[in-house]
This record gives sequence, C-alpha cells and structure tokens, in this order.
Amino acid sequence: MNNKIYNLLLALGLIFLASCEKDTPRYLPYEGYAFTDTDENGGDWVPILQESGAAITIAAPESTDSSSYLAELEEMKQAMSGMTSEQKKAVKYWTNNPTIRWNEIALELIAKYNLIPGPNPDGTYTLPNPSNPEGPPAFPFAHPPYACRALAYMSVAQFDGLISAWHHKYTYNRAAPYQLDESIVYAYEDNDIPSYPSDGAVIARASRNILTAMFPLEAEYLQELEEEHLESLMLSGGNVMSDIDAGVEIGDAVSSTALARAANDGMKNAQTPKAVSDSIKQAALDRFGWAWDNLEIPVRPVGLTPLFGKVTMWSIDDVESVRPIAPPQLDSQEFLDDVKLLKDYAKNMTDEHRRIANFWQDGLGTYTPPGHWNRIANELIVEYRLNPLQTTRTLAYMNMAIMDSGISCWDAKYYYHYPRPIQMIEGFKTIAGTPNFPSYTSGHSVFSAAASEVLAYVFPDEASQMRAWAEEAAISRVYGGIHWSFDATVGTEQGRNVAQYTIDRARVDGADQ
Amino acid sequence: MIQVKYTCSKNPFLKGKVFKWVPLLFFTCMGLSLRAQTPNDALMMRSKNICVLLSYDMGTFDRYWEGSLLRSNETIATVDQNTILPMAAIGFLDDLNFYISLPYIKTDSSEPNGGRFAGARGFQDIGFALKYRAIHQDLGSGKLTALATAGFSTPFTNYLSDYRPYSIGAGAPEFSLRGIVQYQWNNGFYARASLAHLWRGYTEAERDYYYNDGSYYTAWMDVPNAWTYEGVLGKWLLDRSLKLELSYFSLTSTSGDDIRAYNAAQPTNKVESDRVGFSAQYFFKSLKGFGVVAYHNRVVDGRNVPKLSNTGFGITYQFNVIKKQTEATDEQ
Repeated sequence: MNNKIYNLLLALGLIFLASCEKDTPRYLPYEGYAFTDTDENGGDWVPILQESGAAITIAAPESTDSSSYLAELEEMKQAMSGMTSEQKKAVKYWTNNPTIRWNEIALELIAKYNLIPGPNPDGTYTLPNPSNPEGPPAFPFAHPPYACRALAYMSVAQFDGLISAWHHKYTYNRAAPYQLDESIVYAYEDNDIPSYPSDGAVIARASRNILTAMFPLEAEYLQELEEEHLESLMLSGGNVMSDIDAGVEIGDAVSSTALARAANDGMKNAQTPKAVSDSIKQAALDRFGWAWDNLEIPVRPVGLTPLFGKVTMWSIDDVESVRPIAPPQLDSQEFLDDVKLLKDYAKNMTDEHRRIANFWQDGLGTYTPPGHWNRIANELIVEYRLNPLQTTRTLAYMNMAIMDSGISCWDAKYYYHYPRPIQMIEGFKTIAGTPNFPSYTSGHSVFSAAASEVLAYVFPDEASQMRAWAEEAAISRVYGGIHWSFDATVGTEQGRNVAQYTIDRARVDGADQ
Repeated sequence: MIQVKYTCSKNPFLKGKVFKWVPLLFFTCMGLSLRAQTPNDALMMRSKNICVLLSYDMGTFDRYWEGSLLRSNETIATVDQNTILPMAAIGFLDDLNFYISLPYIKTDSSEPNGGRFAGARGFQDIGFALKYRAIHQDLGSGKLTALATAGFSTPFTNYLSDYRPYSIGAGAPEFSLRGIVQYQWNNGFYARASLAHLWRGYTEAERDYYYNDGSYYTAWMDVPNAWTYEGVLGKWLLDRSLKLELSYFSLTSTSGDDIRAYNAAQPTNKVESDRVGFSAQYFFKSLKGFGVVAYHNRVVDGRNVPKLSNTGFGITYQFNVIKKQTEATDEQ
C-alpha cells in the first residue's frame, strides 16, 4: 500500500513539474543572421528629416594600413581576447541588427510607464509633469499617443542615421576588421558592408538619446545599455573604436534633429486644461447634440490628450482632410442596431470573442497597440532577414503611419466627442477597460490598420495576414464592449487611408527603385 | 481568503472528518481562491466512510494592498465573491483519507463603480488530496497526532486568471505538501500547527506580452510558489456536539512582483496575507451523520491581496458505504 501511495505522489509530482518547464522569453529570441541584401545605394535614399544621406558630415577615416588603424585593430584584439562571459552574452544579445533590441527596450519602457495616474485622496487628479518627472505621478504616462510618438521619433532618427551611415560607408569603403585581419573572428554572419561608420553605434546613440528624452527617469539605465551595446560592437569583431565614434557622432546629429521637431510638434499642448477641454466638449454638444462623458469615480476632469489631433503629422498637412464621416445619430436605426449588437456580444460572450478581446487589448501596463505592432514588425524583420537599413526603414514608415493615424483618430475623437457604450446602454458591463477618451473612432482600429498597411507594403507576402490581424484588433474592441462596431470599421478605413500618405512617400524614397 | 472547515463527525478520533480548504489568497478571486484544497487538520475519517459537504461562502472587500499600501479603488468599488463548494472525503484506510473538491465561484463589483467591468463566474479548480496519519498516540494528559498531506489541484474550466480582481482563480496547477501536528487534551482543548509548501505552475493568459519588472513575450505567467503557516486553538463542547475554533493563517509567496500604482493585479504578484478566523460546528444528535458549520475570517495584513472578509456556512453528512449510518464505535 505504501508503495502505491509513493507512486501516486511521484506521479502527481512529475505531472506538476512537467507543467513547470515553460519558456518565458524576455525579448525576441533571435541571434545575428545573414542579411538578404546590403543595399549599397542606401546612402542615396531620401531621409525623413535630414536633407540627404550626405547632410551629416564626418571626418574621413584613417586608411587601413595607417599606424593608428593598426593600433585600433590591436586594441580590439586585446579586448576580444579577454572577454568575460558577461561580455560574450552581451555580444550575442545585441546581434548584428540591434535596432530590434532598442525597439524592444522602448516597448519595455512604454509598458513600465503606461500607468494612468489614480485619484488623490481628495478626489482630484495630478497629471505627470515633465519638469518634475519623479512625481508622483512619474512622468510620462506612456499612453498610446505618447507611445506612438516616442516610437516614431526613435525610428525616424534611426532611419535617418542609417541612411547617413550607409552614405559614408560606401563613400569610404573601409572594410570590417574581420575582413582585414584573419585572426579576428566576427561574432555574427560575415557580410560586405563597410564598417566606417558603425551602424550599430548610430542606432545605440540615436535610440538612447530619443528614449532618454521620452523617459527622463531612465537616463541612467539607457546609458548603461548604450555602453554595453557600444562595447559589444568592438567585441564582436565588427567595429574598431573610430568606426564607433563616427557612428555615435551621426547618432547625436540625427537625434538632435528629431528631438528639435518633437519639441515643437504640439504634443506639449495636447493635454489641455479643463476650460479648453470643456469648450471642446461644448462645441460637439452644440454641433451634434451629444458629448462623451468620463464615467470614472471620481470623474476625470479632462480626457486623454484632447489636442493630440493638433500634433504635427509626418505625411499629411491637414488632419481635417482625412477626418472620417460623422458617426450615426443617437436615434438612428444604425445606432440602435449597434446597441443590440453590443448587448448580444456581452450576453453571449464566447471563448473566441473573449480571447480576441484580450489578445489585442494592449491596455494599461502594456506596450499599447502601437507597441504590439512594433513587436509584430520585429518578428517579420527577423523572419525576412532584413539588414539594419531596411529594418529602420520598415519601423520608421510604420511608426510614422501609426502616429499620423493616431493624430487623425484623436482629431475625430474630440471633434465628434461620441459617447462610449457604457454611457449609452443602461447597466452595460464590459470585459475590457473603457478608456478616458471619446469612442469614435477606435484607436486600436486606426493604429492597427495603419501599421498593417505599411507592413503589407514592406512584406507583400504577409499582406493578407497583416490586414486580417488589423481587422481582428479592430473588432476586438467591440467584443470587449468598449466600442461601437462603426468605431471599428470606420477606424479601420481611416487608418488605411492615413497610412497611404506615408506609403506613397516610401515608394519614392529610392529603396524600391 | 476563505477558510472553510468541516467536520463530519463530532468525534474527531472516530468517524470525524474535517476539511480545510486553504485559500490561496489570490487577488484574482479576491482571496477566495479555493484552488489548493489541502485538508490540513488533524482529523481522520475511518475506512469506508464517506463525508459529503456543501457550503456557501460570501467574501467581500473594499480595500486591498497595492504592494504594502492599503488602498481603496472606486473603479472596482466593493468586490463580492460568492462560492458554492461541494466536497467529498473518503476514508481509504483509518490512517489514509482522500479528498476531492470543486468550487463554483461568482464575482462582481458593487454599484456604482467607475470601471463597469463584468464579473466572472464558473467552476474553479478541481482538487485532490491524500492525508496520511503517521502518529496518533497518548502523551501526557492527551493525545498527540502528526499527519502529512499531499495535494494537487488544476483548473477545471478555461476561466481567465488574468482578469483581476474578478478572475475566479490563479489558473495554475498546484502541488502541495503539508505537515500537521496537533495535541488534544482530554478535556477537549486542542492546539494545532501546520506548515505547507505550495508549488504553483504557470497560468496561461490570453495575451502574449506582459510586464513583470520587465517584458515577457509569452502568454505563460509564473504563479509564485508559497509557504503557508497555520495555528489553531479549539475546544469540543456539549458532549462533543459543538466544536469552536480560533485560527491564524499566513501565506507568503517566495517570489513575484508588486501590483503597480493604480493598476490591476496579475497572477505573477508576490502575495502575502495574515488572516484570523473563528468557526463553530454543530453535530445533530437527532439527525445521524448531519452537521452544520459557520465561520468568519478576516485578512488583517497583507501584500498585493484584498483585505477580504468572508463568512460562510455549510452542511455536512457522513455515512458508511458498507453499512449505511451504522453507529460508530469509539476506538478509544
């Protein structure tokens, strides 16, 4: 009998232990890989904010037979011979396409700071304040508009930086150290891309600068990451110190251009005082006869970034030119049908609807819908083995389109000021959290449609999958009970339409010719 | 966290059977997570006896600990969690008992609330446990008993654990080992202590990214393991018809993160809770095999848990599967 008991216990224990072994990755599990293309003429592509690839000048490199270069090679070999296991891990982590790593770092910071400030004991709310970032509440609140903007500026700086790097690489054609000295073994797949200036260093410095501006409390953390990354560039055998220094110089230049635009793009006025917010609401009430109300307890006096719709767009001059048609009147049959639809979905919640609502929710405390699409893009970039320049191009256009779509969406949200389902349906309950801004159109729908269109353009074989996912992300909000179906469908059209302006730009940037 | 305690018999050394469903105090289910059914008392039921139990538990909280900060939150207002708990205990041998349980839980916020979230409901975790009595002997002016239990529980339905504070459970398999020591004086007083370790597995969320002091690119959330400790003082009264107990229970996760400011809890949280409770159980002389129980528990201190109070009552019925309702004889 005792044996049987022990066997039973053992069996239970083994079942349990088996369920214990789960892989819980902290970042995309890819390593350095061979690029499908080197894009030798990438320096001629049209940058976003710079005049051209030649606009940022760097000193001509020392020749590879100069004594100073040979000394740099020696310095590199010395460093490589004494690598600690920690350093080896860092080289493996950063890979030869580190833009994805910095993108993941941005997503992590977004998730860390995507916390909505709670009420004070007296029922008031305190907003995060960039001049007192420690708070409380800490600055920033990395909500979707904040997140999409941070990602756009970082990706644009990276793309501009690499066009500049490619220009100088193929101007100076200084071969990589591992191609000049056979005793140096490159940590990744060999390629023929010249090493001066270091593209990795451009990415490290540009990313660190943008993210430090966007997440000021993380300055020290970002500096440590940059130092580790720059060191790993040399330890990989790919760059000597002068390659890295030149890359850093370009990184500084492109990030300061990007941050200068950011300082004056209107974002600092997006979160309005209550008086402005009230007048926006009153205008909608006068115009349409309805207005969205915040239903939180205590009530939040101002919705999220009422003037985000006034932020400068990347590829569109006039946000009103892409404003969608008005939503249905509150006494129209279309509206009443939607009330019925939402009640039906809520009453007959299926496992599949719940799964979709949760999968695309990307709510508070997460990387937001723009972050979700960056993660999808990162996975495609690795799958299609894009080189660093193509990687930044993909992310730059996608994040520009996402930000433009968000600006357009916010324009519609506060222009139409349309009520949420919980406001219009008595006793209605949801499985997703209702956000602090008007309903029409759905941010998830617009962000996702825009992202999916750019990804469909860059990865035509994935087009139908990307669009299907965007539609699923859109309808997920209806399943979640926080959006009307027309918020989702019109939002999807809106996102596709807005993205087209950025895609039109991409078609003529030189990469596709 | 609720604690439900049942004894099927007024004489614990006879055909008595007590269940204690150790709540794993997950914010999820507002602390009334009945997922780790680990009978952790010192009572044994005799071979071939079966005890069935049915209870109703009402848990409620309007404050919770966000990390170590006790706070309220009008987004969720007051959260109620009601549980129906059917259980059965089977005496394999006099010294070896088997337990099975399956709670049904329903959660909801009071109105008005600022979040307008739908509550959740459903069957939670099916639990199995084996209890073995290793020592049962006279010592001084009483009796010393030592036992060990091994338990296993796993979600019975696909309820969503990543839906705090409405989720009805932690959504993860659990294996537990518990040691129990009790001393009962001849005058009916007893004191009991138990220590357990809970190995929890992973729960699967419906999203494949979450933040837990950094990014996780997976739907799997690691539910932290935990230690539990319990101390109980009790007494049998009215010719062993009535049993009264005072209890202190504590649970401490061995890892995990804190709930972030004004943010929802998640299954990865580090959970700590101290709870005190009182229970009374009465066995009818006129209705052979029937008993009733009532109890009240309060969480008095915690971390990342609701400040839950719960009250419950239940009925128990014990019978002998061979000779129905035979009069038990006192083995002493």
